[in-house]
Amino acid sequence: MKKTMSDYELIEQFVKGDQSCFETLIHRHKNKVFAYISLYIRDQALAEDLFQDTFLKVIQSVKSGKYYDNGKFISWVMRIAHNLIIDHFRRVKQLNTISNDDYESDLFNSRKLAEANIEDHLIKRQIQKDIRKLISQLPDDQREVVILRHYSGLSFKEIADITDVSINTALGRMRYALINMRKMMEEKKISLTFN
Amino acid sequence: MGLTSTHFISYQKIQVDTVDIYDDAYGFNKEFGDVMNLLDQVKPVPGKRLTKRLIERVRQMN
Repeated sequence: MKKTMSDYELIEQFVKGDQSCFETLIHRHKNKVFAYISLYIRDQALAEDLFQDTFLKVIQSVKSGKYYDNGKFISWVMRIAHNLIIDHFRRVKQLNTISNDDYESDLFNSRKLAEANIEDHLIKRQIQKDIRKLISQLPDDQREVVILRHYSGLSFKEIADITDVSINTALGRMRYALINMRKMMEEKKISLTFN
Repeated sequence: MGLTSTHFISYQKIQVDTVDIYDDAYGFNKEFGDVMNLLDQVKPVPGKRLTKRLIERVRQMN
C-alpha cells in the first residue's frame, strides 16, 4: 500500500503521525541521496554522517511546515544535502582529501567468495576504485553535475535549481566533465576489462 | 514505399516522463556511451547498518 503512495501522500501521513511513512520515503530515496553525498564527499565516515543529517533535517523541516509540495520531494531533499555539504566545506574551509581506500573493506572476509572469482572481483574492485578516483579528480562543479545526473537521476532542470545555475551552465558542466573523464580514461588506460 | 505501415501515435501517448529532454537533446548518452558505461560500474548504496542506524535515529526523534 505505502509503496504505491506518492512522496507527498507519505509526508502527509507522516505529519499526521504515521512514522512508518517516513521510513518508506527513506527506503525509496536513500540510494540517490547516498550516491550524491558519498561520491562528492569521498570520506566515508563523513558521508555517512551527512547522509543521516540530511534525512533528519528533512524531518525537522517537514515538521516545521517548511515543505510545500510541488511534486519534487527528492529534488528538495537533494538541495538539503547540497546545503549540508556546502556548510561542511565552509566549516572546514578546505577540500577534503581523504582517500577512497576506506571503500575497500571486507573483500577477503566474504565466505561466499569462491576462489575462482577472486581475480574477477579484484579486477572489478580496481576498476571501481579507478572510476571513483576519476570522479574525484573532476573540478567540484563538474563532479557535482555528473553525480546528480548520473547517480541521483535528477533532471538538468532540477540540477540547475539545486546548484543555482542556468540549465545551459549545468549542461555545459556535464559536457566538460564527460570530456575530461574520457581524457583521463585514455591517459590512465582505464577500460572495462572484465566480463 | 511502406508509408501505410507506419503507426501514428498521438502526442499524449509519447512517454517522456523518464527522459530528460535536455539530456536527450544534447545526446550525452549517445556521444559519451563509453564514459557512461564506466560510470555504471560504480553503484554507491548505503549499507544495511547505516540505514538501520538512520531509522533508529528517526524513531528517536518522534
